Amino acid sequence: MNYLSDSLLAAVALILSFDREVQLAVWTSLYTAAVAIVIAATLGVPIGLWLGLKRFSGRRVLITLLNTLMAMPTVVIGLVLFGLFSRQGPLGELGLLFTPVAMIAGQTVLAIPIVANYVLACVNGADQRVIDTARTLGATQFQASIQLIKEIRFGVMAALIAGFGRVIGEVGVAMMLGGNIRGSTRTMTTAIALETSKGEFVFGLSLGLVLLCVALIVNLFLNMLQQR
Amino acid sequence: MEPLVCLKHIHFSRGNFQLSVESLELVPKKVYALTGANGAGKSTLLKIMALLITPQRGVVQFPGLTSGDADQLRKQVTYVEQSPYLFQGTVSDNLAFGLKLRGVARQEQIRRISLTLSIVGLKGFEQRKAKELSCGETQRVALARALVFKPDLLLLDEPTANIDVNSRPAFEGLLARLPKYGVTVVFSTHDRFQAQRVGAELLCIRDGMLQAQDTLCLF
Amino acid sequence: MVRLVSIGLTVFFMCGLFPPVAAAERLRLATTTSTEVSGLLAELLPPFEQANDCKVDVIAVGTGKALKLGESGDVDVVLVHARSQEDKFMADGYGSDRRDLMYNDFVLLGPPHDPAGALDTSDLAEAMSKIASSKVSFVSRGDESGTHVRELQLWQAAGLVPQGDWYLEAGRGMGEVIIMANERQGYTLSDRGTYLAFKDTVDLKRVVAGDERLFNPYGVIMVNPARHPHVKKDLARKFLDFLTSEEGQGLINGFKMAKEQLFYTH
Repeated sequence: MNYLSDSLLAAVALILSFDREVQLAVWTSLYTAAVAIVIAATLGVPIGLWLGLKRFSGRRVLITLLNTLMAMPTVVIGLVLFGLFSRQGPLGELGLLFTPVAMIAGQTVLAIPIVANYVLACVNGADQRVIDTARTLGATQFQASIQLIKEIRFGVMAALIAGFGRVIGEVGVAMMLGGNIRGSTRTMTTAIALETSKGEFVFGLSLGLVLLCVALIVNLFLNMLQQR
Repeated sequence: MEPLVCLKHIHFSRGNFQLSVESLELVPKKVYALTGANGAGKSTLLKIMALLITPQRGVVQFPGLTSGDADQLRKQVTYVEQSPYLFQGTVSDNLAFGLKLRGVARQEQIRRISLTLSIVGLKGFEQRKAKELSCGETQRVALARALVFKPDLLLLDEPTANIDVNSRPAFEGLLARLPKYGVTVVFSTHDRFQAQRVGAELLCIRDGMLQAQDTLCLF
Repeated sequence: MVRLVSIGLTVFFMCGLFPPVAAAERLRLATTTSTEVSGLLAELLPPFEQANDCKVDVIAVGTGKALKLGESGDVDVVLVHARSQEDKFMADGYGSDRRDLMYNDFVLLGPPHDPAGALDTSDLAEAMSKIASSKVSFVSRGDESGTHVRELQLWQAAGLVPQGDWYLEAGRGMGEVIIMANERQGYTLSDRGTYLAFKDTVDLKRVVAGDERLFNPYGVIMVNPARHPHVKKDLARKFLDFLTSEEGQGLINGFKMAKEQLFYTH
């Protein structure tokens, strides 16, 4: 089976053909991952800052916990949130299971530990004088933290890129919480899983190449922002 | 005259280190030189006055300033470290930091930044990258960054340590002139004669105690 | 400028949350992978969606999980193939309306050189016991899907308890299991549709087909609205009516894969 070279050709054809289904899957992947990362950043960055700056008892335990959460399989996150969002679960009334919202929630949970850990490492590596300097110039603790984020913005950007990469490439959460519904919650990764189960290996692999291209474009864009 | 700062019954300790200040009053628009051996606690005392460190006992009051919480007081009291940290970006970005926090208008910011840079002898440095400056330039930008928002109390930790001998007279002249702009200055130094040249009143720490202001400082 | 662009992008992405088709009512259908993967639903659903201005969200999982989703009320309709479990589902009051939809059959697949000699017999039970005694690999779905349930019934009918190194419980979808059986040159039980999809990529051959014990009926069940009030009972009933109508049944009979008819109506 010479399907590696076939896939490459098929991928090129697929990109050039602007297939509606593929476009939708790319779009779903992109926007769920982007929204998840925005939410994960608003929660994960403060968590990383807080753990990096404050000294309190139990801090080391929390950091260890955060590191452990990075190893959490996506399927486990999917299972926990499935229990929450199912009609039998506490949030069942909202009817969110098998919608993009549920997927975004799962991906957010997946991304928060990654973002927080990267930010924590950046804060630890940052110059210890930043906060004090900002405070002597009249900044409140909050304003000083904002200044610290500006100082370590490259690291924060790296955190977001890492989180985005993890989220857009995962399949467990998207499959369990999204349900792989055509035209609604079918992402690049669940589409690949489906094509694989259909035996359409060439199509699956070419979708994988499309996903890589999309990730490449996103990273080039973020890289451009970083250069500024 | 009403004092600008009052320190009462201050006690601070960390490990073996101890610092006590029974009573200290600084009057506005004067220059004070803080002397003492290495490790005597000069930086610690400056940081206590800058409200960066909270002592275990005692109070720091600012009767000369409009009262407010620590965040508001910090807008009027500032501290420049011995080896100061400059934010990423240009010199102008660094000076603008304090001005933005105080809501100074954009045009006024530009005017004041330019004026302050020429006061510290760095005319035309606005667009230079902060991280690419020499030690002496860094020191002066840090001073300008503090002066630009006209603090009431300016605390300087060994401000001349990184400035070469040839530039020192100009720098000392600047320190001596600051009270005319309404700034009260406290700077720490090893050099008693520098204090004399600036016309500063001497404060001295010995054996973990700030000595009474009228005692002679000999060390 | 960068700020403007990023705000623009954010708004752009948020818009995606509310796709333009959101106006249409959505019906949730949990079904087995065979109906989705074969492409039957892609033929069957659009006419219904157009006629009723709605969208059918298909969640393709194994029969066991599809019924679980029905039990918990996470879907409105289930389309499955495991009669014994369907009956239990109805008896427990989870479903309110069950209809026979269509049928096809399972096929027992094996490597072309037939190491177990299962081709020699036309009797299914005998073929199964030959596989078991020859200790040639048998790949089982092992996932409580309809196919898995049927496979277990077949072992039971042959008076066997499959266990040992030769019996591989994959826990994966039908397609993956066919690939595994092909790679291991072993036997497996598959639904006809998935086998046809894989026929050209694997060497496996039909060992036994057409036995009445391989009869594979599909049922469609509406989740009981008395138990789950949010179930869209009107739309669900219309869907069941459509599937069992002349039009729906005609579409099923007319659906072909690799030039073979895949599903038959009663």
